[in-house]
Amino acid sequence: MWEVASIASRESFNIVIAGVGGQGVLTLSRIIGEASLAGGLNVLVAETHGLSQRGGSVVVHVRIGDVDSPLVPLGEADLMIGLELLEVLRNVSYMRRGGFIVADKLVIPPSIPGVTVPSVDSVIEALRGLDVELILTPASEVAEKLGDVRVANVYLLGRALSKTRLGAIISFDSVARVLRGLPNPELNLKAFELGYTGGGFEG
Amino acid sequence: MGYPEVLAEPGSRVLMLGNVAVARACLEYGVGLASGYPGTPSSEVVEALAYAASKLGYPYVEWSVNEKVAFEVAYGAAISGVPSVVSMKHVGLNVAADPFFSSAYTGVEAPLLVISADDPGMWSSQNEQDNRWYGVHAYIPVVEPAGAQEAREATLEALRLSGVVKHPVLLRLVTRVSHTRAPVTVGALGRPRLRGVFKSNPLRWNLIPAHARRLREELIERWRRIEDLVSRSELNVAEGPRDSQILVVGVGIGYRYAREALRRLKVHVRLVKVTTPIPLPSKFILGEVEGRNAIIVVEEGDPVFETMLKALLQEASLNTRVYGKRSGHLRPTGELRLEDVKRAIAQVLGLGYRGPELLEATVKPPPRPPVLCPGCPYRSVFYAVRRAVKKLGLDVVYSGDIGCYSLTVNKPFNAQDTLIEMGGSVGLANGMSHVLGDKVVIATIGDSTFYHAGVPGLINAVYNKAPMMVLVLDNGVTAMTGHQPHPGSGFNAVGGEARRIPVEDVARGVGVDSVYVAEAFNPRDVEAKALSALRDVGEGKVSVVVARGPCILVAVGRARAESIPRPSYAVDPSRCKGCMVCYKAFNCPAITPSGDGKVTINGALCTGCGVCERVCPFNAIKPASYVDKRWWKLLGLTESSVGGG
Ligand code: SF4
Ligand code: SF4
Repeated sequence: MWEVASIASRESFNIVIAGVGGQGVLTLSRIIGEASLAGGLNVLVAETHGLSQRGGSVVVHVRIGDVDSPLVPLGEADLMIGLELLEVLRNVSYMRRGGFIVADKLVIPPSIPGVTVPSVDSVIEALRGLDVELILTPASEVAEKLGDVRVANVYLLGRALSKTRLGAIISFDSVARVLRGLPNPELNLKAFELGYTGGGFEG
Repeated sequence: MGYPEVLAEPGSRVLMLGNVAVARACLEYGVGLASGYPGTPSSEVVEALAYAASKLGYPYVEWSVNEKVAFEVAYGAAISGVPSVVSMKHVGLNVAADPFFSSAYTGVEAPLLVISADDPGMWSSQNEQDNRWYGVHAYIPVVEPAGAQEAREATLEALRLSGVVKHPVLLRLVTRVSHTRAPVTVGALGRPRLRGVFKSNPLRWNLIPAHARRLREELIERWRRIEDLVSRSELNVAEGPRDSQILVVGVGIGYRYAREALRRLKVHVRLVKVTTPIPLPSKFILGEVEGRNAIIVVEEGDPVFETMLKALLQEASLNTRVYGKRSGHLRPTGELRLEDVKRAIAQVLGLGYRGPELLEATVKPPPRPPVLCPGCPYRSVFYAVRRAVKKLGLDVVYSGDIGCYSLTVNKPFNAQDTLIEMGGSVGLANGMSHVLGDKVVIATIGDSTFYHAGVPGLINAVYNKAPMMVLVLDNGVTAMTGHQPHPGSGFNAVGGEARRIPVEDVARGVGVDSVYVAEAFNPRDVEAKALSALRDVGEGKVSVVVARGPCILVAVGRARAESIPRPSYAVDPSRCKGCMVCYKAFNCPAITPSGDGKVTINGALCTGCGVCERVCPFNAIKPASYVDKRWWKLLGLTESSVGGG
């Protein structure tokens, strides 16, 4: 486990977090923000509020390191954390070639009567066709087994920490410290750890 | 909601929204009064101050009935010697414009800070107006921070400036300042000034024409002095090579984009950060312009600074080229984007710039517009009202308004034919009613919006005889912006008790004879009352239907707090006929087709409102768990109405 946050002085790390209103996108972005600040890093978390939160698409940009402006430029995201696959699809233009997408294997159909929704498999196939590292994980399934589907977000964060450069930027411990300050810390920590080790979905 | 960060230890560095940094600075300055009307992206300024007030016992904080009143509340306190702030979203300043203009004539005794949060990109607004024009128009200086830390500093500076010149100051925020969380180092809390004195002086405070003419002369004088002061402000700074041919001016958050763009392009030119765009800090700018060949202006919103700068250059007989939005180098619509700023600078400098080739997936995602929450009382209400309209075979126009119910513009409700501005539903319905002949006009308006600007339109309809049905969607709070209280809520900004002023009392008080109050979670009740109301309209009356039931998010929270169990609902597949009424016409997001032509309920989304049980014509939907009577009470349902289901 990495103890000390490290990012070269002229470096930056761009994260896009995508999901559906109510899935905990904002909470996840705040956790990453707090953990970055605790590691002495500059961080900007550009949130979505108001009308756009009501069960619609939600996307939050998190920029860490040597950055001034709050929005991730198109084509420059190093990492996307996707809580839902249609939202991942919607935001792929933010991805840098060779960047990482860590996402839940989940499609939530939009609540429009009669809408045609692509299947999970066809979405995954489309994503596999892109020049990115795709890491899919049944986060919400594990979270549900743990007793609260809402901790899928920190499960994905654990996954992202262990599988991408994010783990070299914010430490496991600094995230754990932030989680201890949340309501229901045990459950959040448990989900985060399971995500980190990749456990919880073999059975 | 809690904002503990607004009370962070002096000297500490904490993550906070730009809006919360503004609130913190108000506390550091010692502001004695804060008012506002909620609106994205401004709401957290007053919310954080209310949180602080609930802990500290000061300052005085209120959610006012609308922006005009909020402005007057702060204005009245400031002319009585108490440092005050008023906060609103950009379009709110339109509502407050009347006293705003006058405040420049009278000036103030103690600082008056007017906070306007603009929404370029229209994430949660009906327009993209740039409120710096208001500063130009009204002779009120504008301070515009680049980020969260700067928002703290700019707020303090704006309050000081207002105190020195005894003149209101406008703090212009934008979405990406207001709603970006960033590290902020905070200072010590100041001693608030909570009590004032009013010094009678009609020559100054009474704007009869004779006084106003003299005050106008004084205003122009004061404006020159302000121009001189902002020219010397330490918040306007320059960096980079002095002998640069090119000058880049970043205004407000434009500075952040410009700075990063230059760094990424590895271009070393002179960069100026402007925090006080209005009035133009002329001396400072002219000092920086001298000897340059070209100026690039990066600003969020309209080319306000760019336009003023061109006038300044003309006055100084300089013909330096200015690039920005007027020249077409930056987009005149939407938010700034780093990639656009990079491209614009590269273009002016004649550098080759190619952005990355963007990834594109072969499968396109379907749109996902925001929708009414599962269990939202408005779904039940619109479902029922549409049934009533159909039963009577009426041809109707839905004059819509601003709130969560705006979302019924979409299928299957299609119940917002217009949406113009706060309170516009009732106002527009007046005109429509006079000219549309046989069409029946239904104005739909939320409770908060009704108090805000719906009441004058209703009085007008009664007095000038404009038959219409006004459907007031009363969920007890200002829901869309985060559940702030309004005069129908019964509690105030800091959580204290307040006297409720029910919508139906207001309606009766202004002469509406046909007033109905319906249980929002009971579609049958809403339908019956809408039928009566629509018949009254047919007889030439103005009719008001108040559909009452709490915002489901509030109800769920209260149930949790009071340990009241919520039922879950399930579809009995043996009874479900697959008529799709619950999915297509009622459209609760928790109900989805199950693949076999029937439907199923997603337990994770279902809030247990129980309306689908009353909607299903085949009794196929039933509670799957014990239903606690207190839950029905929480939803505003009486036993008889539940029993009837
Ligand atoms: S309304 Fe009733 S019968 Fe019709 S689809 Fe829904 S559950 Fe089935
Ligand atoms: S009870 Fe029925 S209408 Fe209410 S949230 Fe659950 S599924 Fe939707």
